[in-house]
Amino acid sequence: MTVKPRQPELSHWFLENGTRCVTAAMKDAPLTCLDLWCQAGSFCEHAGEEGIAHFLEHMVFKGSQRLQAGEFDRRVEALGGSSNAATGFDDVHFHVLVPPSAAEEALELLLDLVFSPAFSPETFVLERDVVLEEIAQYRDQPDERVIQTLLQACCANHPYGRPILGFEASLNASDPEAMHAFHQRRYIGENCCLAVAGAIPNGFVDVLNESALVSIASHPNSEKELNRQSAVNTSLSVNSHLDFKTGREDIRVSRLESGRFVMAWKIPPASNQTMIMGADLATTLLSEGRRSRLVQHLREELQIVESIDMDVTALEQGSLVMLEACCPEEQLNQVEQEIHKVLGASLESPPLPQEMVRSQQLVRNGLCFNLEAAGQVAGLAGNHALWNRPQPLLQPLEHLDRWSAKRLQEDIFPIFQPDKSFTLVARPLEDC
Amino acid sequence: MSSLNLLLDPVESPGVLAAKLWVSGGSSADPSDQRGVHHLLGSLLSRGCGPFNHIELADLVEGCGAGLRCDTHEDGTLISLKCLEQDADQLLPLIAWLLVDPHLSQNQVQLEKGLTLQALQRQREDPFHLAFDGWRQLAYGNGPYGHDPLGISHELETIGSAQLQQQAINLRLSNPILALAGSFPDNIEEQLLEMEPFQALCHYTKDGNVKSFHGTDRPTVSNENQPTIRLTAENTSQVVIMVGQPSLNHAHKDDLSLRLLQFHFGYGMSSLLFKRLREEHGVAYDVGVHHPARCLASPFVFHASTSEEKAEISLKLLLESWQDMSKVKLSSEEMALAKAKFRGSLAHSTQTTGQRAERRAQLRALGLADDQDLRDLEAIDSLKSQDLQQAACTHLNSPLLSLCGPQKTIESLGHLWGTEFLP
Repeated sequence: MTVKPRQPELSHWFLENGTRCVTAAMKDAPLTCLDLWCQAGSFCEHAGEEGIAHFLEHMVFKGSQRLQAGEFDRRVEALGGSSNAATGFDDVHFHVLVPPSAAEEALELLLDLVFSPAFSPETFVLERDVVLEEIAQYRDQPDERVIQTLLQACCANHPYGRPILGFEASLNASDPEAMHAFHQRRYIGENCCLAVAGAIPNGFVDVLNESALVSIASHPNSEKELNRQSAVNTSLSVNSHLDFKTGREDIRVSRLESGRFVMAWKIPPASNQTMIMGADLATTLLSEGRRSRLVQHLREELQIVESIDMDVTALEQGSLVMLEACCPEEQLNQVEQEIHKVLGASLESPPLPQEMVRSQQLVRNGLCFNLEAAGQVAGLAGNHALWNRPQPLLQPLEHLDRWSAKRLQEDIFPIFQPDKSFTLVARPLEDC
Repeated sequence: MSSLNLLLDPVESPGVLAAKLWVSGGSSADPSDQRGVHHLLGSLLSRGCGPFNHIELADLVEGCGAGLRCDTHEDGTLISLKCLEQDADQLLPLIAWLLVDPHLSQNQVQLEKGLTLQALQRQREDPFHLAFDGWRQLAYGNGPYGHDPLGISHELETIGSAQLQQQAINLRLSNPILALAGSFPDNIEEQLLEMEPFQALCHYTKDGNVKSFHGTDRPTVSNENQPTIRLTAENTSQVVIMVGQPSLNHAHKDDLSLRLLQFHFGYGMSSLLFKRLREEHGVAYDVGVHHPARCLASPFVFHASTSEEKAEISLKLLLESWQDMSKVKLSSEEMALAKAKFRGSLAHSTQTTGQRAERRAQLRALGLADDQDLRDLEAIDSLKSQDLQQAACTHLNSPLLSLCGPQKTIESLGHLWGTEFLP
């Protein structure tokens, strides 16, 4: 018998300016997480702005109209807290983790930092150097270069195809004014969501409703009606269609120590939760655990790969599934053939009942295991709310039941075929 | 349970149970010609044990949607299980079976050995790994922390079933500590005692053959005649710099001072290294201090990666910061901030059931009190800046440098180290 796992209760609401709010109280949690999300990822960059979304994320921590550079970090850490941020293709988020007694002060500091950044010219120049060092650091990781080459090839005409960190040239050409313009364009009420999870102090919702979050600008053209279902994405001005390119490429990569065989496929956007869950189920069946088809066949039986896995990256403009196999260079040809065989076989008959049960359990528990820490819960709840998909944290699991073995065979496995992929084969380059 | 160290930490969770079984005997206990044997053994434990062959075991674990893994650390081997409470009675016996009756079948040995050799090869892609590998060889040589837990390729090639069987026996006699956290029945201890593999595990530990691989500081290899720099040439765009020295074990009375220094210099965006290298000079993205909890002399290492043209200034800044530890007293504000970070980090590192169980097992494995973290919280209140300075003078006075990057640049830095920087 399957016992329904416990999950934090969520509470969702909107502020007048369109900002979404969500709270998730967690009993016994030692900390409070404030996670501020904004639809301001690299996808939102215009030509010439490449890298500015991520650079801005750095600059936010360099002070505001009220806070000196470094003051935010010092004050949050003096409260026993920590802070960080991450920029993705679609969105960016800034999170602060503090003891509940410090949540109110942390909220005030966070909002000041994100919505009133200073972007001073001196720190702009210094922090740009830091970002350039970050780019150099990634460049020294051959794995990163392989994945970036794959994305560039399959999403050639789309922002998803370029590095989130941007290019040295575009960063060097940027200035505080351009960053300010991006900030004004994207950091507005309708594009933001604040998630609060963990130990939530009494009265904190009132504090939030009276905070500076209320006074951030809303989109000048948006209607102030509360039917927010249509509010999402109103201000995106970039062509959103993910024009995925299929094909195949062979490359040689400096400092690569073994072969890489990687494939990418396009699947529907994150808003199609049923298809995302179907893809999650299928990739689990194919590549998670020793009894998954690819791992069992290529690593356990043939012993021709060191590792093989598949990942679903849910994205707003069209999601991606990637397969990566690491193997000795001389095995690359056989690895490719055998992967094709396994993917081809998935079309011939529906998965066995035990494969379905195993995959469903792994997907189900994977989500449950991610509901333990306040940061994980705030991240999940905040992202759902940001993209106008407010829902109980475990609700995505309801989509699992819609996937029978036959439907998986008919609707998902045909997507994961070689002719629908972009395939990249990377071999070590003999350095001079 | 009389003969098995058991720690229970019931805590509200989404029906999740985390179990951590710690046994002393990690890579630091690898025999000198079998470096990697504990990691290889650890990877084999879940490839068949007790009544389950490797396929049946995978079917059981994955069929429950659970996670079962074995990680070999320097000081010990950690078996981790994460599952839903409802599956605990099926899965908990596995972690004991792994120890009391691993199959170590020949075909699985060959498979894991091949995978480990490939993983060792792939590690060389990461310049941070190469720099740290160089540093630890410089600092520990052939000593207990002198090699990566994965081992040394040519020694791994020679390890066979006999050596693995011997180490498996040693492992089950190595004072296992079991910690459970999250959701589990009130009578879990009685339930465990009724399980066959746990009874067997109790039997082994009842024999009085408890073997401990830790407890004292073993000397490192460094002395006045040893080199103080290691260069690893790689065709990278950045130079990775690591400067540090073997310091103290986690239980040492002065380690609390070193940990406060670690928080001041390397924890968070308010840390000195972050401010000095990133905010004031913009020379590096990734900076920090590595000082893990260890049974023996733990590394205390400053690290940064930077482009070639900024490598010299970065090295200077790192060394200036290193010397500041013993030359400059922290102000009262800096002390207060370091203590606040210390307190905050304890809450940060006990958020999940897995983190809680692991920390409990770790404290006991280190021979510390179960409430050591609370005791440390009290103890830091009385620490003063001169205590930190004194600890740095005593324990952080002989830094060793490891560089990984383009040959010409690191040779140039190496020359500077020998002529200008060497303390």
